[in-house]
Amino acid sequence: MSVQKFDTVTQSLLVRETGGRGRAPRGKRKWLATFNRYKWFYLMLLPGVAYFVIFRYAPMGGAVIAFKNYVPFLGIFGSPWVGWAQFSHLFGSPDFVRLLSNTLILAALNLFICFPLTIVVALLLNELRLTVLKRSVQTLIYIPHFLAWTIVAALTYLLFAQGSGVLFNFFNGVFGTHVDFLTSPGWFRPLIVLQSIWKTTGWGTIIYLAALAGVDPNQYEAAVIDGAGRWSRMWHVTLPAIRGTIVVMLILSMGSILNTGFEQIYLMTNSLNRSVADVFDTYVYFAGISQGSYSYATAVGLFKAIVGVVLIGGANWISKRLGQDGIF
Amino acid sequence: MKNTKRRTVLASAAALCATALALSGCTSASSTGSDDSSASLKTLTVMAPYLTTQAPAATNPVGTALDKVIGTKLKVTWVPNSSYGDKTNITLAGSDIPDVMVIQGKDSGFVNNAEAGAFWDLTDYLKDYPNLKTNEPDVQQASSINGKVYGIFRARDVMRTAVMVRKDWLKKLGLSMPKTTADLLKVAKAFTDDDPDGDGKKDTYGIAIPKWPGGFATNSPYDAIETWYGAGNDWITKGGKLEPSFTSPNWIKALDFEKQLVSGGYVNPDFATLDSVDWNQPFLTGKAGIIIDTYSRARQINGLLEKQDPDTYQNMVGVTGNLVGPSGKMHALPTAGYSGFLAIPKASVKTEAQLKSVLSVLNKMNSKKAQIIMNNGLEGKNFTVKDGKAVAVTSTTATDLTNIVASYAQLGTNVTGNKFYPPAQPNDYDQQQYDAEVKTMNSDAKHAVYNPAAAFVSQTYAQEGATLDNIITDARLKYIAGQSSLSDVKAAIQLWKSSGGDQVISETNDLYKKSTK
Repeated sequence: MSVQKFDTVTQSLLVRETGGRGRAPRGKRKWLATFNRYKWFYLMLLPGVAYFVIFRYAPMGGAVIAFKNYVPFLGIFGSPWVGWAQFSHLFGSPDFVRLLSNTLILAALNLFICFPLTIVVALLLNELRLTVLKRSVQTLIYIPHFLAWTIVAALTYLLFAQGSGVLFNFFNGVFGTHVDFLTSPGWFRPLIVLQSIWKTTGWGTIIYLAALAGVDPNQYEAAVIDGAGRWSRMWHVTLPAIRGTIVVMLILSMGSILNTGFEQIYLMTNSLNRSVADVFDTYVYFAGISQGSYSYATAVGLFKAIVGVVLIGGANWISKRLGQDGIF
Repeated sequence: MKNTKRRTVLASAAALCATALALSGCTSASSTGSDDSSASLKTLTVMAPYLTTQAPAATNPVGTALDKVIGTKLKVTWVPNSSYGDKTNITLAGSDIPDVMVIQGKDSGFVNNAEAGAFWDLTDYLKDYPNLKTNEPDVQQASSINGKVYGIFRARDVMRTAVMVRKDWLKKLGLSMPKTTADLLKVAKAFTDDDPDGDGKKDTYGIAIPKWPGGFATNSPYDAIETWYGAGNDWITKGGKLEPSFTSPNWIKALDFEKQLVSGGYVNPDFATLDSVDWNQPFLTGKAGIIIDTYSRARQINGLLEKQDPDTYQNMVGVTGNLVGPSGKMHALPTAGYSGFLAIPKASVKTEAQLKSVLSVLNKMNSKKAQIIMNNGLEGKNFTVKDGKAVAVTSTTATDLTNIVASYAQLGTNVTGNKFYPPAQPNDYDQQQYDAEVKTMNSDAKHAVYNPAAAFVSQTYAQEGATLDNIITDARLKYIAGQSSLSDVKAAIQLWKSSGGDQVISETNDLYKKSTK
C-alpha cells in the first residue's frame, strides 16, 4: 500500500518537473539537470549513504592490518608491513583444515536441513485451514527467536546435563546407552542443528507465509477443477509461486552461511568437543580478542569474508543460469 | 502538489537532523576522558577488575578516603573480572587509554605492546620509590618480560594450594584427612561408593572439578595433581635445559592418576562443562566431598556453610595443603607470587616527568595508611583494631563498605609486604582454622616447585601461546575422560611441537641461557 502511494507521488512529481522543462538536455548539462531535477531525492538518499560510508565502508579500511603486524601502540600506519605472512601462517597452520571443514560442515547442515525445513513448516502452516490453530501455532514457534543464545545454551545444558538432565536421562534410559551429549564430539553438530531449528525455523517462516499469501486463489480453484489433489496443488501451484522468494532467500543466506553463529558455538564448546566445534568465528575471537593477535585474526576474518562473497556470487550465477532472477 | 513537495523537504531535513545528531553524539562520546591525563596529577585514571557482584560507585567513601591519603583523585574504570582480559586487549587497541592499567598476565596483546614500547620500562625507576622498591626481587623478576619490568606486580601469597574435604564424611567412614595422592584416591573412592551421607543411595562423589577457564599451568586442580606427581610447574630443567612439564614421564603418570579418578566415577561427571562459578555448589549441597583449589575458597565455603547452619558448620570443612606424591616427597604447587601488575601506558603518560608523578602517586598508594584503606577499609566504620588485628564490624553498611574495599584491594601492589592489619577471625574455631592454615602454608612453601621459566616470554609463545596451550589442555581432558588413548596424548604433544612449540622451546632456552650468563 505505502509503496504504491509513494510511487504515485513520485510520478506526479516527475510529470510536473519534466513537463515544465521541454526538450531533454545533453552531456554535462544533462547530468546537472538530472541532478537538479531529483535534488530532493538525492538529499533524502544522503543519510542512508552517509550511514553506509561511515559505518560500513570506512571501517573496512582497517582490514589493511591483515597485511601488517599490527601493534596498537604503533598504530595502523606505524605498524610494519608483512605482506601475505599472516595468510601463509593461516594456510600453513594445522588449525586451518579443521576450521575450514568444521565451518563448511556446519554451514552445509544449516543449508540442507534448516533452510528447507523452514519452507516445509511454512507450507504445513499454509495448509492449515483452521485460522485460530494456524495463528497460535505461528505465534508459538516465533517465540524462541526472541530468546538470546545464552538462554538457549543454558536450556540445553539443563536438559542434557550428565546425571541430572531430563533428556540425558530419558535417552540414555530408553536406549540403555551412556552418551554424554554435551561433551561427545559426535553429538556436537546434531545439538547445534537442533538448537538452530528450534530457535530460527518459526521466525524464518514469516517471509514464506507472506509469499504464500500472495498466491492467486483462482489458480487453486482451477487446479481443483482439473482434478489436482493436495500434493499436486502444492507441487504445481504453491511451490512455483514462491520459487522466486526461495531463490532470493537462498542467495542471501549464502552470504552469511559462513557466519556459523559465534555465540551459539562459543557457548556450546568445551575441551572435549573443541575438535569439531572450532569454526572461523570462534577462532577469530580467540586469536584476536583473547590472544591479542589482531592482524592474524583480521586475516582469518578477511579470508572468511572472501569465501562468503564467492559463495554469493556463485549462487547468484547459478540461479541466473537456471532462469531465475538473481539479486544482482 | 506543492503541499507534497514541502512534505518531502521537511522529511529529508528531519532525516538529516537525526543523522547529524547521531554523528555528533558519537564523536563527543569518544573524545571524553582522553585529555584529562596526568599533567597536574589532580586525577589519575586507572583501569582495574572487580570480583564482587557490583562495581563500586564513582564516588564512594573508600575512594574518597583513599584520595585524601594519596592527594590525588583516582578515577577508576571497573571492569568485570570475567571479561577483563578481552577488555584489556580492546582498550590497548583503542584511543581512550587510562594512565595506569591493571594487567592480569603476560599475554601476547600485552607483550607485543610492551615490546613495541607502549608501556614504560620501570626497571630503573622503581628503586627510587621507597614503597615501590620491592623486598621480593625474585617475584619482580618473574613478573618481568625477559628481565624488563613493565609493571609493579600485585603481590600474592606464594602458597595457596589447598585441599578441602568434608570432615563429617571422613568421620562417618572412619577415614582421616588425606596426606598423599594415594589417600586422595582412597577418600574420593569411599566418598563415591560408601554412601558418606548415609541416605542409602549412591548419589555422592569424591572430587568436584569445574570447566577450567584458564590454559595450561594456571593452578587448576589438574595442574596441582601434576605438580604433586613431580611433573614440575609449567617448565622443568633437564640437563641444563628447559623443557615443558608435559614432556616429563611424571606428567603422564599424573594423567593416569587423574584418569583413574574420573573413570572410577570419583569426580563429578560434568567436570568438562560445570561452570566455574558453580564450583562450590556440589560441595555445599552435599554432592561432592573434595575440592582442590585455594585457602581462599576454603574460607569462602566455610563462610557460606556458616550461613546455612551456624551450629554444624564447624564439623564440615577440613583443610589441608599440598599432598605428597607417589615418590614420597612433597612437591608443592606455588602461585607465581603475584597476580598481574600495574602498568603505565606511554599513550597517556607521555613524558618522564609525568611518569615520575604517576609513580609517586603509586608510591603513596602503597603506604601503610593507603594499604589499610584498600585492604581493611575505614577504621571504626567496617572494622576495628584489636591486638593488631582487624575485627570486622557486622552491619549492612559495614558489609557494603567491605565489598567496596574488596574491589579497591585489586589496585593494591603490596610489593614491600603487607602492612595492613591481618583479619581477626570471628570466633575461636575460625581463628584456630586460620592459624593452622597459615602454618601449613608456610611449611608447604619450603617445598614449592617454582616455574624456572617464569620470567621468559618467547616471541612465538606470546603470539600463539593460547592456541598452543589448548592443544595440551584439550588432549589432557580427552585422555582423562577416556575419549582418547595415550598415543593420542603423545600425538598432541608432537602437534604442539610442530605447531610452534619447538620454537617456543628454543626461544625460551635462548632467553634462559642469556639470563644465566
